[in-house]
Amino acid sequence: MKVSLFVTCLIDLFYTNVGKATVELLERLGCEIDFPEAQTCCGQPAYNSGYIKDAKEAMKQMMRAFADADYVVTPSGSCAAMLKEYPHIFRGDPEWEEEAKRLAAKTYELTQFLVNVLRVEDVGASLPGRATYHTSCHMTRLLGEKEAPLRLLEHVKGLELVPLPNAHQCCGFGGTFSVKMGPISEQMVDEKIEHIEEVKADYLIGADCGCLMNIGGRIGRVGKPIRVMHIAEVLNHRN
Amino acid sequence: MTRGTIQNRDAFLQNIAKRLGRSPRLSGVSQPQWDYAPQWTVFAGYSQDDLLSALREQCKLIHTDYIETTSSELAGALKQQVAAYGGGPVIVPDDPRFAEYGLSALLHDEWPAEQTAVHVWNSSLGRQNIDAAEQANVGIAFSEITLAESGTVVLFSRNEQGRTIHFLPKTYIAIVPKSSVVPRMTQAAAYIHEQIEKGAVVPSCINFITGPSNSADIEMNLVVGVHGPMKAAYIVVTDR
Amino acid sequence: MPMKIENGPFWKRVEENLQNDFMRGAVAGMQDRGYVRRLGVIEELGHWEEWRSLAEQIRKHTLENLDYYLMQLSENVAKRGGHVFFAQTAEEANDYIRRIALEKQAKKIVKSKSMVTEEINLNPVLEAIGCDVVETDLGEYILQIDDHDPPSHIVGPALHKNKEQIRDVFHRKLGYNKSSDPVELARHARETLRRDYLTADIGITGCNFAIAESGSITLVTNEGNADLVTSLPKTQITVMGMERIVPTFKEMEVLVSMLTRSAVGQKLTSYITVLTGPREQGDADGPEEFHLVIVDNGRSSILGTEFQPVLQCIRCAACVNVCPVYRHIGGHSYGSIYSGPIGAVLSPLLGGYDDYKELPYASSLCAACTEVCPVKIPLHELLIKHRQIIVEREGKAPVAEKLAMKAFRLGTASPSLYRFGTKLAPSAFAPFAEDGRITKGPGPLKAWTESRVFPAPNNERFRDWFRNRQKGGNPS
Repeated sequence: MKVSLFVTCLIDLFYTNVGKATVELLERLGCEIDFPEAQTCCGQPAYNSGYIKDAKEAMKQMMRAFADADYVVTPSGSCAAMLKEYPHIFRGDPEWEEEAKRLAAKTYELTQFLVNVLRVEDVGASLPGRATYHTSCHMTRLLGEKEAPLRLLEHVKGLELVPLPNAHQCCGFGGTFSVKMGPISEQMVDEKIEHIEEVKADYLIGADCGCLMNIGGRIGRVGKPIRVMHIAEVLNHRN
Repeated sequence: MTRGTIQNRDAFLQNIAKRLGRSPRLSGVSQPQWDYAPQWTVFAGYSQDDLLSALREQCKLIHTDYIETTSSELAGALKQQVAAYGGGPVIVPDDPRFAEYGLSALLHDEWPAEQTAVHVWNSSLGRQNIDAAEQANVGIAFSEITLAESGTVVLFSRNEQGRTIHFLPKTYIAIVPKSSVVPRMTQAAAYIHEQIEKGAVVPSCINFITGPSNSADIEMNLVVGVHGPMKAAYIVVTDR
Repeated sequence: MPMKIENGPFWKRVEENLQNDFMRGAVAGMQDRGYVRRLGVIEELGHWEEWRSLAEQIRKHTLENLDYYLMQLSENVAKRGGHVFFAQTAEEANDYIRRIALEKQAKKIVKSKSMVTEEINLNPVLEAIGCDVVETDLGEYILQIDDHDPPSHIVGPALHKNKEQIRDVFHRKLGYNKSSDPVELARHARETLRRDYLTADIGITGCNFAIAESGSITLVTNEGNADLVTSLPKTQITVMGMERIVPTFKEMEVLVSMLTRSAVGQKLTSYITVLTGPREQGDADGPEEFHLVIVDNGRSSILGTEFQPVLQCIRCAACVNVCPVYRHIGGHSYGSIYSGPIGAVLSPLLGGYDDYKELPYASSLCAACTEVCPVKIPLHELLIKHRQIIVEREGKAPVAEKLAMKAFRLGTASPSLYRFGTKLAPSAFAPFAEDGRITKGPGPLKAWTESRVFPAPNNERFRDWFRNRQKGGNPS
C-alpha cells in the first residue's frame, strides 16, 4: 500500500525523529512511503490567527502537493483536522472545492490509519515504564478520534498506561495563543504538568507535536523527570 | 380582558427583516417537522408502575420526601406528614378533590379541633390569602401532571388556587394521583400545547415544581430552602 | 451595571485575577464537579447528539423567522391584557421602565436574575428616581449589597466570592452577626428578602424563553425568587433579549431540558414557571399589570451575518464551565458581564472591538466550548472569525504578527521558498541554542521562552533525511 506522508512543518524542522519513527513504523507494517517534496504547512497557524487569505495559499499548495496521493497520513491530530476542514473553507470555490473534498477524504491521522485502515492494534512495540497519554483537543474534538491511540498503546509491551486526570483539558498550546497569551498559557501547562506528576508517569505520550513542544518545553524549563514522546516514537520503539 | 398596548413594533420588526435580507414575515410560518424527536424516547413504553418507581428514585435526588398511600389512607398520611413538618397553619386551594379524596373531615374538623389553623384559598378575601400563605407552615395542593423523570409536579393557577400557596409556606406537600404521572415534561408541554390549539385559555401561571427551593450561590454549597419552601413531600395516591 | 465592567485594561485584569487564589480554586472546583455532573445527566438522558441537533434546529428556525414569532408573541401578550414595548436601544428600554416606575410611584422594586437588565444598566436608572431596587437571586443579592461587585459568571454570579467575604459583607451592610455557614447566610437573606417581596411595588424579571403561541414567558430558577417577584408586586415588568423566544410549549420544553442539564446538571431546576399576562379576573395574587419589554440593543446587527449562530445562545454557561482559559483568569478578566467563550464572542459584537479586541484571542481554540454547547454554536470558529475581522477589516493586528504571516504566506505557498526558509532555520537559530534547545529566544519567541524552552531546529530536516535515505544514503 502506498502511503503519502504529510510530515508537518514542526516535525520536518524540529522533531525529525518523529518523522523517522513514522516512516519506519509504516514500512514495518508493509507500507510504501511516498514523501511529496512540494508539501509545506497545513495553513493552521495563519488560519487560526485570522489570516484566512494567507492560509488559503498554503492550503492550495497542500492540495497540489497531494493531488496524486491515495492515502495522506500525518502524525498529527491537529494538522489532520485542519486538512479535513478544507472543504468547509473552500466551500463555493469552483476551482478548489472538489480538490479540498478529495484531500479531506483521503487524509488520516497516523493512529487512525493504523487502526481503521491497516486494522492493526498490536504493532509489536515495547517500552518498559509507566506512561500517561495526553489527548490533544484537536485530535479528540475536531478530528473526533478518541480511541485509536489508546488501542495501540494498550498493546505496547511493558508499558503501563495510567489515565491522566482532567485529560479533556487543553495543555495551553493553541498555536499563537501560547505566545500571545503567554501568562495564561503558562498556567494551563503548569496544571497539565501537575496532573502528569500526580500519576507518577515516566513518559508523557501525545499525538501532536504542538502540545508536546508546549508540555515538553515547560517540563524542560522547570526540570521534571518526565520524558515526552510522540506516539509514533513509542510505537516504533522495540527492545 | 382589555387588550394591552403594543409600542414600536413595526419599525422593530422591519429592521429585523431588513437584517435578515428579506421582506417582513408576519404570518404564515409554521414549524418544520424537526429532524429528531429524542424527547419522546425517554421512558417510552413504561407502565404506570415503572413511572412510579422512576419518580420514587428521583425524589431521593431532589431532597423530597416520597410517600405512597391509598385514597382510604390518604387523610392519615397527610396528617402525619403535616405533623412531621411541624404542624399548622396549613393553606390549601379551594379544590373539590380534597372532598373527593376524603380529606374534608381532616381539613374542616380534625385539624381545627387540634388548633391546626387551615386557610382555604378564597379569592374574595383578596390580600388576606397572601397573608395566610405567608404565615402558613405547610402549603398543600394537588399535582395536575407529575413528571417521573425529574420528580416534578405541575400546577395551574386559577381563582381558587393562588400561586403563592406553592411558594410562601415554609414547607410544601403535593398530593400526586398515580394517574397523573407521565414520563417527562414533554407530555405536559404537549398537553398544554393541544389545549391552546383547541382554543383553551392558558392559566396565567403554570408552575413546574421540583422539590424544595435551593441555591448553590455561596461557594457552590447546596443550601436547601432559600426563598421558597425549605422542605417538600409528595404523597402519591396509588389507587387514583 | 452595564455590559462593560470598568476594571482596567485586559492585561491588568488578567494579572490581578491570576493572583486571586480563592477565585481560581472556586472556579476549578466548580468546573471539575460540573464536568462530571453534566456528563452524568446527559448520559442518563441518552441520544444527546440528537437533542443538540433538535435544539439547534429549533433555535435556527426561530431566528430565521424572528419577526414572525415576535409578532405572534406580542399579539398574544396584548390579547391577554399585557403591554408590549419594543426597545431598539438600552435607553428606550430604560426610559419605558422608568416611566412605569414613576407612574406607579414605585418605592421598592424587586428583581429576579436577568442578564439583559445588567446589559442595559437598568438599576441606576431606577435608583436615580428614588427607587430601592433589590436583586433577589442570592448570588446577585450578595453582589449588590457588596457595592455592586460585578458578576463573574452568567449562572453563578458570585462564584468568585468566598463565604467569609460574604459573611463580612452581610455584617457590614445588614448587621448580620452569625457564622459564615452558607445555610445561616442563606436563611438571613431569606428573611430580609421576604420583607422586600411583600412590600415591593414592582417586580422585574428576565426571561429564559418567551412562547410565541401563547404570549407566555418562562422563568427558570432553583431558588423560587422569580416566583415571589411575579406573584406579590402589583406590577410585573419582564425584560427579554429579542432572540429569547420559541414557537410553542413543545419547543420551550426541549430547550428547558437542555438548559438545566447544561447549566447545572439538573434534569429540571426546582422552579420552572410559565406566566401568561397579568393575573386573571378574580385571582387574589399575581400582578395586576404586566409589561413585556423586548430589547434589541445591538442584536439585530448580528442577524444576517456570519455571527448569527451566537443568537442561538440560551445562556446556560456550559461553555464557561469547560473553558480552560476562564478556569485560570475568572469572569472579571473579560471586562464584560458576558464572560467565558460566549462572552468572548458576544462582547465584541455588542460592545465593539475597541473595548474587547483581546477577547477573541483569549482562547486556545481547544473547542471544548463548541463540544458542550447545547444549541451547537460553533464558538471557537466564531472566535477565528473575530480574529479575521480584526486582521482584515479593523487592521488592529500587531505589526510583528502581520510580518510573520506575510512570511508564512510566502514560505508556505511556494515549496521552493519553504524548502529554502526551513533550510536556513538551524543557522538562524544557532546563536540561541544550547544542547539542542533554545532557552532565550529572539523576537516573538521571547514570549515562549519566558516560561518554556523551545526546541532548536535539527541540522538535518526530515526531508533531507528522507531524501538521503531514498538515495541509499545512511539511514541514520
